[in-house]
Parts: sequence; structure tokens; C-alpha cells
Amino acid sequence: MRVFWVMLKKELRAFFVSPVAYVVLALVMVLNGFAFRAALAILESSPSEGSIVTWTFHAMWFWLSYFFIFPLLTMRLFAEEKRMGTFETLFTAPVRAWQVVGAKFTAACVVYAVLWLPSLFNFKLAEWVSAGQVEVPQGAMQGSYIILLVMGMFNLAMGVFASALTSNQIVAAIISFTLSLGHFLVGVFVMAVGRKMPDMIVDVVNYFASVEHIRIFTAGLIDTRPIVYYVSFAALFLALTHQVVEFRRWKP
Amino acid sequence: MIHVHQLTKQYAGRTAVDGISFDVREGEIVGFLGPNGAGKSTTMKILSGFMPATSGVAQVAGFDVFRQSIEARRAVGYMPEMAPLYIDMKVKEYLRFRAELKGLHGRDMRRRVGEVMELCGVTDVRRRLIGNLSKGYRQRVALADALVHHPKLLILDEPTNGLDPVQIRQVRELLRDLRTQHTVLLSTHILQEVENACDRVVMIHHGRILANDTPHNLSSSLRTSTIVRMEIETPDKQAASKLEAIPGVRKATEEAGEGGWRSFSLRVEPGHDVREAVQATAAAGQWRVRELHRELPSLEDVFVELASTAEVPRGARV
Repeated sequence: MRVFWVMLKKELRAFFVSPVAYVVLALVMVLNGFAFRAALAILESSPSEGSIVTWTFHAMWFWLSYFFIFPLLTMRLFAEEKRMGTFETLFTAPVRAWQVVGAKFTAACVVYAVLWLPSLFNFKLAEWVSAGQVEVPQGAMQGSYIILLVMGMFNLAMGVFASALTSNQIVAAIISFTLSLGHFLVGVFVMAVGRKMPDMIVDVVNYFASVEHIRIFTAGLIDTRPIVYYVSFAALFLALTHQVVEFRRWKP
Repeated sequence: MIHVHQLTKQYAGRTAVDGISFDVREGEIVGFLGPNGAGKSTTMKILSGFMPATSGVAQVAGFDVFRQSIEARRAVGYMPEMAPLYIDMKVKEYLRFRAELKGLHGRDMRRRVGEVMELCGVTDVRRRLIGNLSKGYRQRVALADALVHHPKLLILDEPTNGLDPVQIRQVRELLRDLRTQHTVLLSTHILQEVENACDRVVMIHHGRILANDTPHNLSSSLRTSTIVRMEIETPDKQAASKLEAIPGVRKATEEAGEGGWRSFSLRVEPGHDVREAVQATAAAGQWRVRELHRELPSLEDVFVELASTAEVPRGARV
């Protein structure tokens, strides 16, 4: 366990010493600023059943920033070690693969969680400035941040996996982006043509449709099924990453 | 300390290491010698636990490098070729990270990092970014990293590669200091280096061991002809054939001389020392002699000789 903490400390440091974390943070803050403004505009123009939280996480701006986060946070993790040769120094120290994979993933999750702190401030600010006229429902807040976290874990795990596959960060980023966006688009596609399809397929696809999950959770409904889905698939991708990292040791 | 038996490593269709066996005893400095691509790095990567062998046994400090990988890695300080480091870390910070990773902590860790920085001469750059350091300093940081957890065995892959002559001498002296506490296996393709620093030499070529002995024994046991060089002054046109008449001299060649002196090199059959006979011949012909000496073969000669006689296995990289 000590190795895990030592690695985690080093990985977190690497994030905040390099400009990557700050660039991503700036990007997310700007685009979510737009998303927040768009949500305010909707509430202003028409009385609506959704809350400010719902509309913020439904804005195009939100999704625009969302898919850039994962490749940017994860592409470096293993690819850079392989490119620089430090992969060899790392794995000739007495460390186990799961400690390294776990620490890199956890560090990415911590940075990802930090990215959403400014948006909390946005909502508080809206409540405060409008003297309570803009309502920020607690249930919607909790639901939104829970689904953001578990969806993030899932996508970050795919990114870590992509990074372990190659020594080229750009390739890692493209694989990660493709996996994340592909997963998302399947859900969107079914929502778009859902009425022409048999109910059973729609039900199955809804099970992994991120858009649908966001809709439910931002309304304040906390459904355990998507949580189990994202967490277990994150675990699956981490297990795959572990296999990729360990494959070096097993191939004859 | 190291036990390797019938170790083989194949990469897709190519045999990098072909059934090698050797042992390294505690306290020895053993040089792993061979041209680039001979299988030195591959063997070291297997011994350091980075990758598995295709077949065969590799043990360090009594632990199997594959089945007891963590224990084996604890006993080994490994410095890979090219000394890869995290370029965005400072020297002290990097060494502390590595020390913690290898199980040191608290005051012990800080004291030990201070010690190895002093030992490897990187104390004065401890606050600099590794990415801004020269090759020589990076090499020494990597060496400090290999030493930091008191490993019983040091495996150093080309530790002097890319260093200037002064730095090479420093590394060599450092290795000499380390021998009291560590067993060392180092690889190099510079022959002079092992001649100077090592107790024993393992020569490897095309993934096979050519020789395994002390540098001195290798030189003297070489079953190849030695060379005797001499410089004489004589008008005798028959000098070369008179020299060739001496028993044991295979061939006498006259080389370019200077200032009236004539220079000869005599190729001598193995097992003969012809110097006294040459002296007698010179005295008989009233030649003036100003130089007469026998050249012992260098490790380089040994290596060339062994490499040229060893058959090249099929599929080997040339």
C-alpha cells in the first residue's frame, strides 16, 4: 500500500507541475461558463420545468468540454513512461503492476474531481446574486455530481487503458477520445431514432446511454443501475490495463 | 549472487540470448563484454526482472527473477542503458521518490539519499531539474538511484556510455569503491574498461558466451600468435630472412623505419618466446638494437580471435 501512496503523490505532482492540469481546468471553466450562461438564458426566456442544474449539464457547451478532458488527463500516464524509458526503471523497482495502475488512475480521478469545483461555485453564485430567485435544488446537485464522478471514472479508466497500449501520447489520446465519444454516440443515436426501433433494443441501449443517465441524475433521481454500470466497467478497463502492463512479464 | 543456467530469449523469430550459463560470486565485479546487439542488454533486462526469459533459469541473490520477482528486484540495483529519468523532477526529489518506492522512508530515507548524492557527486546539482542536467550528471543520478536501497547486487548497463574520459575515470573509481559492499555486473562494449575495472570477464557474441575468465588469464591463455617488435640498424639486406630462420618465428615483416633505423615485426608461433634467440641473431650479425619487445594480446585481440572462430548461429542478428 505504501508504494501506491508514493506513486499517487508522484503522479499528482506530475499533473500540477506540468501545464496540462491548468490548461484542462481553464478549458473546462470557460466552456462550463458558457454552459451555465446558456442555462440562465433558458430559464430567463421561458418558465421551464428544469432547474438551473439540469440545463447546465444539458448544454452543448458542457458536452463540448467533456470529451476533451479524458484524453488530455490520461494520454501521458503510461505512454510517456514508455517513450522516455522510465517504464523500465519503474518496473525494475519492487512495485506491483496494480499499485502503479491504481495510483495513476486515482491521480487522474483526483484531478478530474478538482475540475468540477468551479462549477459548484457557479451555482452558489447564481443563488446568491439572484437572492434565491434562481433555485438550486439539492437533489439535482447531488445527482449531477455523483453521475459526473462515476462517468468520469469510467472514461478515465478507458483513457488509462489507451495510454498503456502505446508509447505515443497522440495515439493514446485518439484511442481514448474515440472510445469515450463512441460510447456516448451510441446512446445519442438510439435516442434520435429510438421510436423506429424495437423497445427491447432501446431498453438495452438506454442502460449505457450517458445522455439518458445525465437526464435522470440532473433531475435529482439517483438510480443505482448506472452507478454499478460505470464503476464495474471502470474496474474492467483497469483490469485490462493491468493485463497490458503485465503482459510484458508474461510473454515468452 | 547471480546464477544463470541455459538462459534463452527469443524475440519474434530472432534469438537474442541463446542458452547462456554463468555465475557471479558475491563481491565480484564482472564485466559483460560484447559488441552492440550481442545480447548484453537483454540478459540484464531479464536479470533485473523487467522481462521474462523464453526458457532457462535466472536467479539473483537466491531469488528466481520471475517467480520471486519482488524479492529479486529488492536485491538488485539496476541502471538501464541511457539512464532514463523523469526529466521534470529535481535531482533530490527524484532520488527521494525512488528511495520511497524501494521501501525506504522517514529519516533513514533522507539520510540515505544524502549519502548516495555525496557518493555519486550530484550533491551540488540536487536542486536542479534533471532535464537540464548534462549526460554525465544524469548518468550519475541514475547510478545513485541504483544504489539508494543498499542492493546486494548492482546491474549496470553501459554505465560509462556517452561520458567523457574524465567522467569515465570517475565512474570507474566509484565502482572500485563500491566493490566492498556490492557485487557488480556491468556491461560495456569498451574493452579497455573491463581490463581496468573487472575481476572477471564474460564475453558474449551473438547471444552465446565465448569466454568467462579473468582478463589476465584470457590474455595469456589465448592460443594465438604473439608479436615481437624490434628496431635495428644494419645494412644487411637478408635481415628479414635471418630472423625468419629463428625457430618459432612464423614471419618477419619489415615496417617503415625512421632515421636509418629499420623496424621489424615478428609473428611468433603460440608457446614460443623468441626474444633471446633474436638477440643472439642480432649479436651474430653485429646489428645495433634499440628496441626489442613482445606484445601480449589485448582483450581486444582475444575478442576478435574468439568472435571470428565462433560459428555464427542461424537467425542471429549481425
